[in-house]
Amino acid sequence: MNHKSLTVTLLALVLLASAAQPTIAHHSVPVNFDQSREITIEGVLTDIKWVNPHAHFRVNVTEAGGSVIEWLVEMGAANTMKRAGFPMERFVVGDRVTIIGNPGRRDRTILLNETVLKDGTRMTPTMRPRTPDGAGSAN
Amino acid sequence: MRSTARTLLLAFVVIATGWTTDAAAQRVAPPVPAGQPDLSSSNWIAGGGPTVFNDWVFTDAGKKRFEAYDFKKDDPAYGCIGASWTRIYLNPNVVIQVTQGTDFVRLQYEWMDIDRRIPLIDPTVANPKRANVPGHPALGYSAAWYDGETLVIDTVDVEPGYITTMVERAGMPQSRRMHTVERLRRQGDVLTIQTTHVDAANYRTPVETVIRYRATDWELMHYGCTPEEAAVVSPR
Repeated sequence: MNHKSLTVTLLALVLLASAAQPTIAHHSVPVNFDQSREITIEGVLTDIKWVNPHAHFRVNVTEAGGSVIEWLVEMGAANTMKRAGFPMERFVVGDRVTIIGNPGRRDRTILLNETVLKDGTRMTPTMRPRTPDGAGSAN
Repeated sequence: MRSTARTLLLAFVVIATGWTTDAAAQRVAPPVPAGQPDLSSSNWIAGGGPTVFNDWVFTDAGKKRFEAYDFKKDDPAYGCIGASWTRIYLNPNVVIQVTQGTDFVRLQYEWMDIDRRIPLIDPTVANPKRANVPGHPALGYSAAWYDGETLVIDTVDVEPGYITTMVERAGMPQSRRMHTVERLRRQGDVLTIQTTHVDAANYRTPVETVIRYRATDWELMHYGCTPEEAAVVSPR
């Protein structure tokens, strides 16, 4: 797969419903995102907002045909991520990132479960490793 | 003279340090007034145990309102609005701080920077003094008292909206007629919060939720929600 091309890869990881339970208490995450599936997108950060109630990125993703489309990457509250020690300073507009997460029920939206920086560093919003039961994923 | 100057300099340093102290600095809770349960010697955060919802019965009109809810546009949080006390307590990962006084109780919720100072009243008195929350008119007018070890908060005159916007209960409506009672009781490091909503316009039975918080060392942080950012839910 082309490194720079769109990698909206439906992993078809049909997680057991119970795997999402650690996040079930979170505001309206299950309402807004399909936590039974995960997808991966790769693109260039164009906007970074460390805000409450949801931090978010905008990422330009280049499709196979060459056209560029914007995705909105949603995260938990910036305050929660600060408490978890999430290294916000490592995200810079213009950098290439990979986002792994649950697809939104709105087009081109995704809830970040894990991100991979250009140097290969992987991290979750909670700064805990992901486990099969979903721990460490979206807070 | 030199001594005075030193004192002034010291005072300045103390004040300046206080001004620049990070919001996360440990606070020292004021003493709990005699006769009141201790709810304020630690802060609280979600995660003290399972949340339990009761079964409820909609009125016909309530069911229509519930079915008409559209999460893509109706969630009051998109406008930084805390719609109901149940919705507020259901929000995870934000801190609640309680301050107890002889004639008031103050609850500060990190979520949406809700700062609630409620008068303590005699619940048997007619038309007691109530207080609303500055900046959050949707949340109604509250009065409080202690029932033994339990803090009871009684709220009326909320704005129409939604009791909760979460999961399969997203869109449970509330009307101007809704009456809310919160019961907060501490057992060790767990704070149990029971909310009861009676809203005859939308439900034939009370809506009850039990939510458990745990003691935390985290301090309150500024939330700073703005509708412009909270409403960002789609790419451009």
